[in-house]
Amino acid sequence: MMACNVNVILQQGKFATSSRKWQSFPPHCYKANIISSIAIGPSRLPQSPSKLVFHEKERPSLSNEKFGIYGGKFVPETLISSLTKLDYEFNSALHDPQFQMELGVALRDYVGRETPLYFAQRLTDHYKNNNRGIGPDIYLKREDLNHGGAHKINNAFAQAMLAKRMDCKNIVAATGAGQHGIATAAACAKLSLDCTIFIGSLDMERQPSNVLLMKHLGAKIKSAKGSFKDAVSEGIRYWVNNLDSTYFLAGAAVGPHPCPTMVREFQSVIGKETRKQAMEKWGGKPDVLVACVGSGSNALGLFHEFIQDQDVRLIGVEAGGTGLDLDKHSATMARGQVGVYHGAMSYLLQDDEGQIIGPHSIGVGLEYPGVSPELSFLKDIGRAEFSTVNDEQTLDAYKRLCKLEGIIPALEASHALAFLDKLCSTLKDGEKVVVNLSGRGDKDAATVFNHLYP
Amino acid sequence: MAFSSTISPKNCRLSSSSSSNFPKSQDPPLKFNKFTLYPSKNPLPIACVLTEKQSMAAEPAVLQRPDAFGRFGKFGGKYVPETLMHALDELETAFKSLATDEAFQKELDGILKDYVGRESPLYFAERLTEHYKRPDGEGPLIYLKREDLNHTGAHKINNAVAQALLAKRLGKKRIIAETGAGQHGVATATVCARFGLECIIYMGAQDMERQALNVFRMKLLGAEVRGVHSGTATLKDATSEAIRDWVTNVETTHYILGSVAGPHPYPMMVREFHAVIGKETRKQALEKWGGKPDVLVACVGGGSNAIGLFHEFVDDKDVRLIGVEAAGFGIDSGKHAATLTMGEVGVLHGAMSYLLQDEDGQIVEPHSISAGLDYPGVGPEHSFLKDLGRAEYYSITDEEALEAFKRLSRLEGIIPALETSHALAYLEKLCPTLPNGTKVVLNCSGRGDKDVQTAIKYLKV
Repeated sequence: MMACNVNVILQQGKFATSSRKWQSFPPHCYKANIISSIAIGPSRLPQSPSKLVFHEKERPSLSNEKFGIYGGKFVPETLISSLTKLDYEFNSALHDPQFQMELGVALRDYVGRETPLYFAQRLTDHYKNNNRGIGPDIYLKREDLNHGGAHKINNAFAQAMLAKRMDCKNIVAATGAGQHGIATAAACAKLSLDCTIFIGSLDMERQPSNVLLMKHLGAKIKSAKGSFKDAVSEGIRYWVNNLDSTYFLAGAAVGPHPCPTMVREFQSVIGKETRKQAMEKWGGKPDVLVACVGSGSNALGLFHEFIQDQDVRLIGVEAGGTGLDLDKHSATMARGQVGVYHGAMSYLLQDDEGQIIGPHSIGVGLEYPGVSPELSFLKDIGRAEFSTVNDEQTLDAYKRLCKLEGIIPALEASHALAFLDKLCSTLKDGEKVVVNLSGRGDKDAATVFNHLYP
Repeated sequence: MAFSSTISPKNCRLSSSSSSNFPKSQDPPLKFNKFTLYPSKNPLPIACVLTEKQSMAAEPAVLQRPDAFGRFGKFGGKYVPETLMHALDELETAFKSLATDEAFQKELDGILKDYVGRESPLYFAERLTEHYKRPDGEGPLIYLKREDLNHTGAHKINNAVAQALLAKRLGKKRIIAETGAGQHGVATATVCARFGLECIIYMGAQDMERQALNVFRMKLLGAEVRGVHSGTATLKDATSEAIRDWVTNVETTHYILGSVAGPHPYPMMVREFHAVIGKETRKQALEKWGGKPDVLVACVGGGSNAIGLFHEFVDDKDVRLIGVEAAGFGIDSGKHAATLTMGEVGVLHGAMSYLLQDEDGQIVEPHSISAGLDYPGVGPEHSFLKDLGRAEYYSITDEEALEAFKRLSRLEGIIPALETSHALAYLEKLCPTLPNGTKVVLNCSGRGDKDVQTAIKYLKV
């Protein structure tokens, strides 16, 4: 695997706020035919960048492709013009009242927004009873009630509308657990677009019901040998070969600019609604926001609205798999190092030679060796905290929410719920915690069944 | 636009050969068998006589739904053992008092909003509308009432949640329910988990095998699932077993009936709890096009989702009400569940209604590809609306339903439940007859994730 000449990157001076400086990077310094899996060895970069000052002007703005040193467009030259065009279209759509209105109607009537901010009485009491009657008030943001059963559709639908606007009739997407695939297939069916979904062969075995759903919705399914990261690589390869007619619908907040920004922007409706609903319910803001982190799309969707509110704690929970020390996990922030993957610089799970480590989690949607560049930035400046929970704790949390609240959560969201075990006893009485219930868990019943009755 | 249905079943066909099943010397057995009425030349029980007089006097009959005896015309009633009469009276009293209890209404509204996710959208199905446009570009406008977006994926939870709250009011800690495919069982287990109530679900042993995943979901939610092996080990046997349990444990137990069938006050209560569907539809229709819907279409198994949509509009004569039942392999094949089309009047599970019975008054085993419509009876109010001519009822075969299942998935990206697909399939016959711009509201009563395996077998996707 070719490594980039990192010294050149570091010597580029101040962290660029425009893409032009990176354009001057001599193209022969990196392998140009695929944009996946370019990892920078740890010996070339410090373990974490030196302290960055959080200045107002460095706060990532809409068209800013960088979040500190993270993000960027590490892509072959052939893709640069497509990405620039996409960036332009994205910005113009955001400022187009017609587009916003159509999107609003679709989110309301098709997706079923706004999703409730639900006070989980029995879950709250459970933690209070364990702690002498003291504990926070736990609210769940019910993204599981969306059409398709997860938050993925917020982004998938908006991007499908964008693709239609750009006259791209073919949509290609990559999916891990299948939720993004379903959301994309549904949006394409509704907007009469052709849809091709790449899914890893291992994932097809683990989430067969989701594969069936995608087929029913009219999508063509293509298998990629391996798991989600391989599906993404295959999807991008397919896109690169059909640039003019195809739109790559990113479901994760990763990839070259403008993908992370787009996904975050379309998911930010979650946070916006939460602010409004919190004001209605208790006349204030949440104190703590908790969300599971795979690539970070649902977490950013919830957090983004509150980044400027320093009194709101942002906590991302990653997948500890079967154990952080056994290398069977997906805890990018906990164990990853900075590198470039799928077109962006971010933390990622890599070994000493810069090869990608295959991640593992019982929550298939969290199995991604990288993470959103924006979250990497928030971690470095200390704005967001990250923690991990393992598979066992996740299963316990899954069962707990079923028994206490009658809601079957996705195994991914169960990671966030499992973290409450550690969090609640540290919080003051009556603090308001909002957990992003990013998806429903019907798809996981078979997995849980197999775990409980092997 | 009410008109009498083209297929009129034999009205009030009273079987004359029922006495063999019911010797007069025996007390009505606790095993709750269906029986048919004796021919009219014998004196009828008191309740029937009064009702006969009442139905002649009450014009228009729609105003009294149900009357004080729990009857809709001659349908409905309380055909139950004496031991249950008190419980039913208590339930009725509690239910009536809640109508004026603001705290209850507020709590229920809060739960429907934050837990269930109401209000469900009234969604304009653009591509489906396009599909039904005639060559000259004319056709009706099709709206879907998205009950599939509710928590647990069907309309069932509206009723389950309200009844669980009601049970808590009554101080009952134990909940029982019956289930066929498992949807009502899951909804009941869900609300019991939410409210911390003990939950026992009766399910036919055959159904338990076919729906193993739903059984597991119910167990995950903390419910105890009891298999019923008697009879044909399907829904009607599970219902009988549940009623038996209720008779035994009536002081501590509340029975959450899943549909608008059963003894009074259940048809009325379940209807009232689902009526939110129709109320929202009226409001949303006014917002969207400043008027009312012209046609309402819904699938009918027991009839709860249909009544939930129709009830608000029964008194609006300019709104057509269309119920679609399951014709299974075809109504002539004998393997169907088209109760209102092919059934005869009898008493099942405590209420008089149309039901699928043979010459000896035994229940005919129904069949439908969709488990939720696989019920040999129907809610008494539907029987009433049919006889009155206020609502029309048609039936759709398994094949037509599967086609509609595929169609909505491909055109709108919404995978409907196979039950709902019956209503969607009827659009094929309905839309060519409707004038341009007619507003059709179809109740999308549930999502179809649970049905993909079944559909794959038949559709070979």
